[in-house]
Amino acid sequence: MKLIEFKNTNAQRIYTDYINRSKRVIRILSNEDQEDCLMEINSYIFEYIQNHQNEDETSTLLNILERLGSPEITLKEVVAAKKIDQAVKTFNLKHLIEALFLNLRNGLVYIVLFVLTLLLVCFPILIVMEILYPEETGLFVGEKTFFFGMTDPKSGIQEVLGSAFIPVVILLGVGFYFLIVFLLKLVKNKKS
Amino acid sequence: MKNEFLKNWDTQLKKGLLPFFVLQALNQKECYGYELIQTLKDSLGIEVTESTIYPLLIRLMKEDLLIHKWVEQQSGIPRKYYFITEVGKSNLAEMQKSIVEIIEKIQQQ
Repeated sequence: MKLIEFKNTNAQRIYTDYINRSKRVIRILSNEDQEDCLMEINSYIFEYIQNHQNEDETSTLLNILERLGSPEITLKEVVAAKKIDQAVKTFNLKHLIEALFLNLRNGLVYIVLFVLTLLLVCFPILIVMEILYPEETGLFVGEKTFFFGMTDPKSGIQEVLGSAFIPVVILLGVGFYFLIVFLLKLVKNKKS
Repeated sequence: MKNEFLKNWDTQLKKGLLPFFVLQALNQKECYGYELIQTLKDSLGIEVTESTIYPLLIRLMKEDLLIHKWVEQQSGIPRKYYFITEVGKSNLAEMQKSIVEIIEKIQQQ
């Protein structure tokens, strides 16, 4: 991206600072999306300055930066929207968690999806716990209760999965993952 | 002279109608961000800042109502032109219909 050059050194510093702040906000996006966001912000600044050339350079820059608002606020929605697209396109768990976290405020469905993702993250931990503490980890069934995960073996309930616990957890993890991606795509398509 | 309540109501009304005005403006001709802000101001008297229009344009693109194309400029700083899609046009027509219906109901009273 070509940066704007200012005659006034203070204006240049203010502009560089704004661009750097914007870069920090969008750094979780893909390189392509980061470039697109920065180019768009740069274009807004440049066009405004071009149309206010008779005015003081620093004042004009401050005016357009005020109109653009703080990058931390203006770019929040843009980053959240682009992150969802990236998560759906890449199937990457890291992007999925980031996208859901950024969209938590956008509705109950994202909260549900976030909880499902947290459960998904717990599955590998359960596998490790099953290896380390096989007596305390598993699917425990009692007379009127059942429990999946880790519990006190003295509580009078019986573990029923045994050595099948790890394959079941892996299958559940795969199932949860595809369910999350499917729900995410459903939400995205419903909005369009 | 508008009182505070009317001023707030007027702002909310324009804010609610902003996606409609943006689609309507882009239905006339493709625009880049700054140009669109000026068009809204000059033709419709709507003052909107870059912090409002930028996320809105991204939202409309996410809904497949708009597409964009970067166009290189002599300055070396390209412009991002926004175009209305067929989905955008059909949504605009539906929005126009709804607005006309509301106006007709108001006029009937």
